Amino acid sequence: MKPISYQLAFGTYEDALRMVGVASEPRTAGTVVSAARIQMFAATVRDRNPSYWNAEFATRTWGGLLAPPGLLMGWLTPPPWEPTGQPPVSAIAIRVPLPGTTFINAANEAEFPLPIVEGDLLTIVEEVVSVSPEKRTRLGTGHFVETLDTFTRQDGTVVARNRNTLFRFTPGAPS
Amino acid sequence: MTDAPDWSQISVPLELPEVKDEITYQRVVMNSGATWDYFPGHFDPAYAESQGHPTIFVNTMHLAGFADRIATDWAGPDSRVVRRKMRLIGSIYAGDTMVGRGRVVAKRRDASVDPPRHLLDLQIDVTNQRGELCCPVELTLQLPG
Repeated sequence: MKPISYQLAFGTYEDALRMVGVASEPRTAGTVVSAARIQMFAATVRDRNPSYWNAEFATRTWGGLLAPPGLLMGWLTPPPWEPTGQPPVSAIAIRVPLPGTTFINAANEAEFPLPIVEGDLLTIVEEVVSVSPEKRTRLGTGHFVETLDTFTRQDGTVVARNRNTLFRFTPGAPS
Repeated sequence: MTDAPDWSQISVPLELPEVKDEITYQRVVMNSGATWDYFPGHFDPAYAESQGHPTIFVNTMHLAGFADRIATDWAGPDSRVVRRKMRLIGSIYAGDTMVGRGRVVAKRRDASVDPPRHLLDLQIDVTNQRGELCCPVELTLQLPG
């Protein structure tokens, strides 16, 4: 099997529990919210909403092209290669040390107190809310990792909160 | 989208038009390109199979974008998604068709903020072409006015 390109941290459940309640240092996106990414995402989901495509409409309505709410987590996802040669910094959920060799998302809840628009520079603070005891599912055995991301824009205003539950597991049929 | 509903005229519950979307391999690959999520399950069929999946699958952001599209296509471009809660209970794989069925389940005036917000709560179920529920979504829209 190919090694996974994400930097998974490995450890025991006890190691993982030590990260619960820990908030990350703030991390700022490498680039501002851009029309190019807004429209590539809208094309991917085939959304014709003029808030994403029509600068005149979007500026009048939202103050600029609107960032698709669905793309929220993407703004703080680093490019898959960076000139430092170091692996990109991954989301806190997969930096939680656990035995599982892979992961899949299980649940997500996002709130958007204010519109995010083209030109905004977003900063995220990530926190591990909980790590479940070992569970068996149809995919394999592992742990559910719940995280809370708080997104602020350049003036410090909170523009979004993102609560995510990820299943970190080792594949295998339940016994 | 020219016939955007007027919040004051909406009676609950209300069914939204069904939306179907064929997810080809190209669309799944566009998903990684657009979101910068290069988890190999989203672009490498051999990796996906090694993890027990039939092939590559779309990520959470793609499903969220589909749900948001269903909501705002119906409510019009002056509406905005202010909350979305989703459970990922099955995956949408390359070759599948996503089917979204939405309905308005509640209508609320939120006076905790000034000016008060006009909100609609939607339930959107995303299934595959076999009718298997992959992603139930609760979504709140803010409407103008």
